[in-house]
Parts: sequence; structure tokens; C-alpha cells
Amino acid sequence: MKQSITLKDLTADLIVEQAHAAHEPGWLAERRHEAWTFFAQSGPPEWRRTDLSGLAPDALTLSGAVGTELIWDAALAEQGVVFKPLREALNSHEELIKAHMDSAVAPLDHKFSALRAALWADGALLYVPKNVAADTPIHVRYTLPADHHMIMPRTLVIVEANASATIIEEFISADRSEQALAAPITELIAGPNSTVRFISVQQWGDGVYHIGGQKAVLGNNASLEWTSLALGAKVQHIEAETTLKGNGSRVNWLGATFANGSQVLVTAPWLRHIGHNAESFMQFKTVVNDTAYSVFDGMIKIEHESTATSTRLEEHALHLKPGARNDSIPGLKIDTNSVLKGGHASTSGDVDDEQLFYMQTRGLSKNEARRMIVMGFFSPALDTIPVEALRHQLEAVIEAKI
Amino acid sequence: MSNDLVIKDLCANIGDNEILKGVNLTIRGGTIHAIMGPNGSGKSTLAHVIAGHPDYEVTAGEIWYGGQNILELEADERSKLGLFLAFQYPVAVPGVTVANFLRAAINAHRAEEGKDPKETAIPMAEFRKMLREGMKTLEMDEGFARRYLNEGFSGGEKKRLEILQMTMLKPGMVVMDETDSGLDIDALRIVAEGVNRLAGPELGALVITHYQRLLNYIKPNFVSVMMDGRIVRDGGPELALELEEKGYDWLREELAGAA
Repeated sequence: MKQSITLKDLTADLIVEQAHAAHEPGWLAERRHEAWTFFAQSGPPEWRRTDLSGLAPDALTLSGAVGTELIWDAALAEQGVVFKPLREALNSHEELIKAHMDSAVAPLDHKFSALRAALWADGALLYVPKNVAADTPIHVRYTLPADHHMIMPRTLVIVEANASATIIEEFISADRSEQALAAPITELIAGPNSTVRFISVQQWGDGVYHIGGQKAVLGNNASLEWTSLALGAKVQHIEAETTLKGNGSRVNWLGATFANGSQVLVTAPWLRHIGHNAESFMQFKTVVNDTAYSVFDGMIKIEHESTATSTRLEEHALHLKPGARNDSIPGLKIDTNSVLKGGHASTSGDVDDEQLFYMQTRGLSKNEARRMIVMGFFSPALDTIPVEALRHQLEAVIEAKI
Repeated sequence: MSNDLVIKDLCANIGDNEILKGVNLTIRGGTIHAIMGPNGSGKSTLAHVIAGHPDYEVTAGEIWYGGQNILELEADERSKLGLFLAFQYPVAVPGVTVANFLRAAINAHRAEEGKDPKETAIPMAEFRKMLREGMKTLEMDEGFARRYLNEGFSGGEKKRLEILQMTMLKPGMVVMDETDSGLDIDALRIVAEGVNRLAGPELGALVITHYQRLLNYIKPNFVSVMMDGRIVRDGGPELALELEEKGYDWLREELAGAA
């Protein structure tokens, strides 16, 4: 796309024209057209807890070039693993992309999902063919080029039958003195018997609005370990879902959110059970400091066709300052009579005084004790990060927020 | 003298309840001093007040250790002076491993004002060696160091960890709050041996217990009896045996008669 384009400059026809100019396939231009039309006709989403009043997308410049870094062991290519910028992959793997893109995250769900689907400019494709064990982490990192920009990267991950992979998706930038918008789409398709570890890290700088959609769809006996870290941004609104479509599929989903300053971090993770004998566990940990606000809008949805579901959803929140707030809204919707185990729990409170006292009696200052308690609170999620440098960097970010 | 723990006319409340009503007690450095008393007499409160628990309000009196009145000090400052409280109910801290916690505690003790903490921190190899040796003498499995602090620990494991911390922090004065509660005989023996190994001129100990049983393993030099927030009797080891034999009621009656 041309430089310095804003939303006001765009029309459906112009979007199609640009798609053709970029030699995109016809089906993609059509999808963009449809999504833009939906975007243009729909009102703003009714998100009661996500404050978007400060966001002025019309004033933002669309970044044609997303800062995308692909970090991996290229030797995996010899096993048939494909990891490349999505735009480039459109040339080499068009049918694969066409078959899976938009199959997980619905493009016409609300204004922002349509905006993303209409205007995404780049991203990454990861394709792990059947029976391939990709045993080193595969890492995509998105950055924001400048203030007043908006980016819409999308990640498409396809792990075929009996394959395994570890994927890290990271959003990172310096602080932005003016606003910027990131609206990414992440789709993860896990084939039968596949084993996937997915780590998503949102650590935008201050000033960034992040409105993201993430969905993983699991095939029969597929197993997913998902870790969601949300540390950065001015305002975050992430809708995430694991769809346990396959029989015997499993997900273990850990979250760590830390909001400080005046951040507003909203996460709506859903577990959706469709297959039989599927198992899910979700545990999100939230720390709020200063006058920050976080929302955990978690949901277990058990569809009528599923049987023998086992599921549990938990959220635990720690408040470091009286002015910090966290809303925990765990929900359970069951449309079947056949559930093996189902439950949810949420806890919320200050750092425990008895823990602080115990640690102080060993010589730790109150601040040091508090720091260790918070780090310990997040350690189940942090311990899943397979790249030591990233884990240490995130630990430093968390420590700075305490 | 500065190794003595000296408690003068100590009064303390929790909420509106007065628990300590004028405690006078001196624990000499290098000696083992047992405090016995019935439930509810204020023994655990005394332990918590000495360690600096913020929920207790000291309304009168002084506690001297290391040449100063420690009542104005935070719990961590008291620890760094050489005081150590072995908890009756050690607190679980999920996500914090035993090894990381111990290293942080040791480094807090080694820290010096005006110096980079990295400079004073214990070298990793030295720490590991110290930890390994400490765990070995307390008959603890090596995997213990990687577990989360007191989380899911049995009673015996918790108390062993208290002794391990004591061993590694090398305090000058320990307050052991009902360390024998919840222990079977084997665990009691291991814990007592751990304390006895450290006992000597460098370590004073205030051993709080309800039962005489612990004192078969940790031999006190002095025994004091606490009742209703005061020390009501001081003696030697024979006093513990007398209490074991006769219970506390005779003493209560004797005191009532004297008053």
C-alpha cells in the first residue's frame, strides 16, 4: 500500500484495487472487500469495560510495512517446515492459506475484526507438515514503526497430524508518546495428534492500543499448551479462544497479565468444547498496580454435541495498590447434559501479609519480599517460556512494574 | 551482653485484647532457654512480637538485642541483627523455590550499605555447596530445593526447612515457636539434632513449647513458665520435668494462693 494512507482515504474499491496492484489472489481481494464493507457499515463494538474513547483511528497512518522478524532455526526447513512472511507465502502456499485463513477467527464479528481482515498488510505463515517434530522454538516478532501508525499483522499457524511445534508470537515496541494501534489476528490450526506449545507475548510500549483476536482450533487428540502474557500497551482488548473441536483434544492454558500506571488490559479467553472426551484447564493470573484496570472475561462454553468434557477455569488476581482494579467475570455456558467435570474459581486480594512477614523474618525487605511473591505468582506461566533470553527480559519488565 | 535477648516489662495487644501483660525475661547468649506454658498463655504472641509482626501493638516495655532496643525495627532489620524465628506454622509462598528464597535471604544478610548487591552476593558455587550440605545433614532430598516454599510440605518437611534456613542464616538468637508441634518422633529427632549442631557459645535459643517432650531432645539450661501473659516462674531443667509430671494446675493454684 502507499505510504500515509489513513482510514478516511479508503473505500472498498480502493482496497480491491490495491490488492490487485500487490498481485494478491482474487479470493483475498474479495474477502478484503467484504470485510471493509462490513467495517464501514458497523458501529463501534459495545465493550463496556474497554475504554476506546481516546482512540482516534481515523488519524492514524496505515503501515504498509509491518516490522516483522522471523527468528528460527532455518535447518527446520529441511524437514519441510515453512516459516515465512505471509505476503511471500501467498505466492508459494496460496491454497494452504486460502483453506485456513479466516477459518478460526471470524472476520465479520465486529467492527475491528472486519478492519483487521480488510487491511492486514503482512504477518507470518508457519506450516509444520504431518509427522514432523519441530523441536526448536519458532518465533515471530512484530514491532510498530512509529507514533500515529496502525498495524494489522496476522499469524497463521498450521500444524498437521502427528506434528509438533513451539511457537512464540511477540508484540513489542518502545513507548509511543502519541497513540498507535495494533490489531493483529492469530489463527492456530492443530491437526490430529499434534502437540503445540504457543506463547503469546504482548509487551507494547506505552501509548499503544492493542485490539487482537486469537484462536486455536484443535483436531482429534491434539494437545495445546498455551501461555498468554500481557504486560504492555495503553489499552488492550484481546478476544482469545481455544476450540476443542476434536475428540480427546486437550488444552492447558496459562495467562499472566500485569497492568500498572493507568493501563487498561482486557482479556476474554474462551474455552469452547465441541469434541468428545476433551479436557481443558485455564489459569490466568493478574497483577494490578497503581490505578490500572484489568478485566478477565473468561468463559467455558460446552456445545450440545460434546460429551464427557472435563474443564476448569481459574483466575487469581493480586492488587498491589488500593487504586488498582481487576474485574473477574468467569462464566460457564453448558448446552449438553454430558459433562464429566466442570468448574471455575476466582480469587482476588492484596499481597498476603503473612507471606510478607515470613519472608521479612528471613531478612528480605518488604519490597524485595513483595517482588518475589509477584514473580512467584507468575512463575507457572514464565516457566513455560523456552527461550531463556526472552524469559529474562520479561522478568525484568515485570520487576520494573512492581 | 549484647548477645543477650532482654525483654523488659513488655505489654502487647492484638486488636483490643491485651495478651502480654508485663513480660520480663533475659535469654543469655549461648544458652538454651525454654518457655513452657498452657495454651493461650501468650507464648506465640511473645515469639511474634520479638520477630516484629505488624499485627501486634506493643503498648509498653522494651526488647533489647545486639545493643539496641529493637522494637522500632522492621522484621527484616531484626533478622539482619541476628534474630531468627522458627515458625510454628511456616507460610507457603507459591512460585518461589526454596533455593531462590534462601539465596535471596542470604544475600539480604550479606548486603552492605553503599555497596553494589552484586558485589556482596554469595557466589553461586558457594551457595550450592552450603545448601547441599545443609540439606544432607537434615536428611532432605535434593529435589527439595526446587520445590515451592512450604507449598504442599508435610509438617516434618516444613520444620526441617525452618532448621535449614536457620543453619544457613547463622543467627545469634533463635526463637523456636512450638517447633515440636505436628512432628513425629523421627522428624523431631532430626529437627532437634539440627538445633543441637548449631548450639554453642554463638547461639542463644528461646524454645517455646507446650510439652516437655521436645526438651528430651533439646536440653535447656533454663526453663521459664508463662501464664496469662507473664513469666510466673523461672528455674532449671528440673522445672520442665515437674510440669510434665504435675501439669500446670498446681502452679496456677500456688500462684493464686500466693496472691
